[in-house]
Amino acid sequence: MSLKQFISDQSRRMAARSPWIYRINAGSCNGCDVECATTALIPRYDVERLGCQYCGSPRHADIVLVTGPLTARVKDSVLRVFDEVPDPKVTVAVGVCPISGGIFRDGYAVLAPLSKYIPVDVNVPGCAPRPQAIIEGIAQAIEIWRQRL
Amino acid sequence: MTESFYAIFAMLVFPGGLFALALGLALKGLDRRLAARLQRRVGPPLAQPLYDLVKLAKKRTMVPNIASEPVFLGAPLIGAVSMALAAALVPIPGFYTPNPAFGDLLVVLYLLTVPAVALMVAGSASGSPFGAIGFSREMAMMLAYEGPLVLVVAAVALRTGLGQGGWVSFSLTEIVAYQRTHGAFLLDPVMWPALLAFLAFYPANLGIIPFDIPEAETEVLEGPLLEYSGPALGLFKVMSALKAVVVLGLGIALFFPYAPDGAAGLLVHLAKLVLLMLIGVSVVRVSCGRMRIDQAFRFFLKWPLAFSVLSLAVVALA
Ligand code: SF4
Repeated sequence: MSLKQFISDQSRRMAARSPWIYRINAGSCNGCDVECATTALIPRYDVERLGCQYCGSPRHADIVLVTGPLTARVKDSVLRVFDEVPDPKVTVAVGVCPISGGIFRDGYAVLAPLSKYIPVDVNVPGCAPRPQAIIEGIAQAIEIWRQRL
Repeated sequence: MTESFYAIFAMLVFPGGLFALALGLALKGLDRRLAARLQRRVGPPLAQPLYDLVKLAKKRTMVPNIASEPVFLGAPLIGAVSMALAAALVPIPGFYTPNPAFGDLLVVLYLLTVPAVALMVAGSASGSPFGAIGFSREMAMMLAYEGPLVLVVAAVALRTGLGQGGWVSFSLTEIVAYQRTHGAFLLDPVMWPALLAFLAFYPANLGIIPFDIPEAETEVLEGPLLEYSGPALGLFKVMSALKAVVVLGLGIALFFPYAPDGAAGLLVHLAKLVLLMLIGVSVVRVSCGRMRIDQAFRFFLKWPLAFSVLSLAVVALA
């Protein structure tokens, strides 16, 4: 193994320990957002130990958490914000809403599933999912992200 | 020839550049770890700031359409370089004395304003409204804390100069040498008002919580940094890590440069830096809320300014 190979392996291993998270609310009822924002961040479920950090700007993000069934109203904004996230990035769909529309699936303004519009890498089902499930989803997203780096 | 070689070495490798960067990243890591512990969390690994930097180096830098590209990408570079230079000018008592030919305390003061200016330029060049808000807040903060800082430095310089039988002395080497023979200013009641003013200055300059108003992520989404991504954002992280080393090192040089000679001096310096970072930054950061910009502005024009004027007067009379 050459030195160059070694350095690139090591730097990839290090970089994979710093996934920054950004949340997009695509018309969620806020249940999933509460689970993401507060529960997954309170001391008991600290995601910072995985190196994660919630960031305010999509441009700093590596892992994008999307909640909600993608309503027609927010579709353009969601796609625009998603494009602002620099590559390489991983998408995690949180809740059943982005998978199928959940309890809103019959709504006239609901465009779910989300995967028709943006590439979803990990699905975390549940209405709303438990914090442990969200952390598990983030951990899987980190694995995928490591390969993309 | 050897002289200029040492100068370049000082700026790139030993007290400035690489060494200061490693130190700054380690201090930031310690800070995040302790802050997490104080909130009863596990917290990130100690090397987390390093991981973040490596990660940012591997990402793509995006430049917004409406941004002016050379300014947008130049600002973080200028900020980081200025801090690397400043780190080479701050003495490590008993171990490293900067070459007086590079400059003294006044040059450090000038260099210390560069990161704030770089942030302002970055915020306005990015073309984002949040960047513009960050710009105006950063400017207000700078106007508020720069005055007290200059007066504090003047008080220290005057005290040293008068103590040596001269007038003012802006040489950091002399200030350190004077305190090592006559006792640290930390224990000198005449200097306590200046010390208090300095204690208010450095959280504002480092942008930690009661005064992190320009980069408040919950209000203005990190303000000037909002549009940055990838290596350019990494340069801003480098800048803030170096700034921590410079500002805390300056505090040590101005107020308590007790240290044995030789390598032990370096160890004592590192211990002081760690102590200052943990007590002065982490504990403050987790135990306060963020002030509003008008509150912070008024606070600085009231207490630190009063204390620094008082200290100058007391020193002149003493
Ligand atoms: S999955 Fe349930 S909790 Fe989450 S946004 Fe949909 S309806 Fe709300």
